[in-house]
Amino acid sequence: MALPKRIIKETERLMNEPVPGISAVPHEDNLRYFDVTIDGPSQSPYEGGLFKLELFLPDDYPMTPPKIRFLTKIYHPNIDRLGRICLDVLKSNWSPALQIRTILLSIQALLGAPNPDDPLANDVAQKWKEDQNAAIETARQWTQEHAKP
Amino acid sequence: MADHSSSRPQHQSPAHRDMMFCHECQDEWYRDQHGLTCPECGSDFTEIIEDDNDPRDHHLQDHGESDDGTDSLPGLEEVPPYQDLVHTPWLDSVQNENRAQNNDPEEGDISNLQWRQVGPGRFAVTGTMYRTVSPHDLSGGGGGGRGGGLDTGPIGGFAAMLNSIIGGARLHQDVEGQDPNSQHQHTHAPQNTGSGTTADGHRFTYTAGARLYPRDANHPGPQIEPLDELNNVLVGLMAAFGEGPGGNHPHAHHHNVHAHSGPDDDGSARGTPLSPLMALFSQVMAGNGQIGDAVYSQEALDRIISQLMEQNSTSNAPGPASQADIDSLPRKLVTNEMLGSEGKAECSICMDEVQIGEEVTELPCHHWFHHTCVSAWLAEHDTCPHCRKGITQRPDASNHAGSSNDRSTGNPSAAADSMQSPNPPMPGSFEVSGSEPSGNAMEDNDPSAYRLQNTDQTRPQESRPSDSSSGGIGGILRRGLFGPQN
Repeated sequence: MALPKRIIKETERLMNEPVPGISAVPHEDNLRYFDVTIDGPSQSPYEGGLFKLELFLPDDYPMTPPKIRFLTKIYHPNIDRLGRICLDVLKSNWSPALQIRTILLSIQALLGAPNPDDPLANDVAQKWKEDQNAAIETARQWTQEHAKP
Repeated sequence: MADHSSSRPQHQSPAHRDMMFCHECQDEWYRDQHGLTCPECGSDFTEIIEDDNDPRDHHLQDHGESDDGTDSLPGLEEVPPYQDLVHTPWLDSVQNENRAQNNDPEEGDISNLQWRQVGPGRFAVTGTMYRTVSPHDLSGGGGGGRGGGLDTGPIGGFAAMLNSIIGGARLHQDVEGQDPNSQHQHTHAPQNTGSGTTADGHRFTYTAGARLYPRDANHPGPQIEPLDELNNVLVGLMAAFGEGPGGNHPHAHHHNVHAHSGPDDDGSARGTPLSPLMALFSQVMAGNGQIGDAVYSQEALDRIISQLMEQNSTSNAPGPASQADIDSLPRKLVTNEMLGSEGKAECSICMDEVQIGEEVTELPCHHWFHHTCVSAWLAEHDTCPHCRKGITQRPDASNHAGSSNDRSTGNPSAAADSMQSPNPPMPGSFEVSGSEPSGNAMEDNDPSAYRLQNTDQTRPQESRPSDSSSGGIGGILRRGLFGPQN
């Protein structure tokens, strides 16, 4: 199946105009599969961490959202221990006007603004609500432990 | 007791050395060094020492036992009361055997199963059965038609069970449950029916392996083929060993098993095959992780949850717009106004640049796209890719009342829209890497707003056959439970 022009364009733009703090590099043997890294946003417990993700563009992309998963262990109420991300634009609020770039920015923003009221990792969200400072400290520790560049 | 000096040494698993004990002189030696006959006094009255059956203790307690070297005594022995309670399919023959038993308690029927896990998904099953048959059994006891002939019932069935369960797996010979007899004749189950063994009128020790074959070259018999379906096998095993995993069946084989010290002796049980047996089956299933619809491991559960999440990933999204509505969308030609500040614009779905004079389709919200691009999207979700406003103007527009809030909560092109001062907003004309991302970033702050609003919109979507991917489990269930939707 030929690669749609849109994917080629997106890839080119990601290469030519990279987003600060974000990189997405397609696999040579599968141009729909990207190795992604996202820098932890500053002023967040993930600051200083380099988070690896995998991103896959399904056949019907952009009519369906890309599939994205954290590969780096991360302590976040909207990311579960398998790295699955609870983000509306990756699910029901996907729009074909969104792009890899915008989705990755959304994920970076999610790191900066955890939302324990819409959790995927229930235990983490619980901790986040009960004792936010402790949860943030745990997130910081995990970042030191698992997300060192 | 010391009867069959002719029996061959038993094959032992290499890892284990049997310690022998002589009842005459109380000498002890390794069986693989000196065999079954006492190297000190030459007596045949010897026994294998086991962890749970130490003849040395017994020798001290009950010396009188040693005088019953009379295996061929007629069936004087009464059926022990517990035998009636043994819940086995071959109860009759068990009783027969017991009627025929001599009073050497060591010759009580012994079934000993050892189930051990030797690796992930691999098991070693060790079974030893001891059956006593006397010639008198043929004429007396439970009737002429029974006796030795029926002894194949339990043994053959048992063998078939083992065979069925483990298939060709190699079975260790029993290393722990040895009957403390000095001699063991290994016979094949069918041989018990044959004249040879019953005519001998003596004791047989049957050591079962997963693959059964004649162990006695003097009494060859046909190979036993697996006879039972696994179900029957399991039922048989449960029945044979009592119900609970703990093996608390008060009159199950435990009594048989330790018949060494006499039928009246309720002492230490010879082995407790029950709980390992239960553990076996649960482990077998757990090892595979997935059997049928059940889930036995965290990975399997994660896999299923991931599947559900993927299948339902867009199920909360708004349903499709009707084809008529899509077809009736107004077309317009790209004008210079629609281009951005750099004089370029692109369809944000295919990301192809549009040229002045090219025909595009405009939605009610005035966002425009290639017709093929936006109709493909609208056929799945009735939302504008930029502002999420639906194109359908219907009385049931309660959805769209909600959709109008999108602008205030943020949407993919909110920032782009606000950047574009001219009316109407032309989101297709914003610069590719312009402010769009920040619009998305903002959106994350209030994702739940969409959730609530969108849940109302799932119904029309699931009634569309074209929307197979987003119908998901819910749609399948609904169709399955309530029939096709109208």
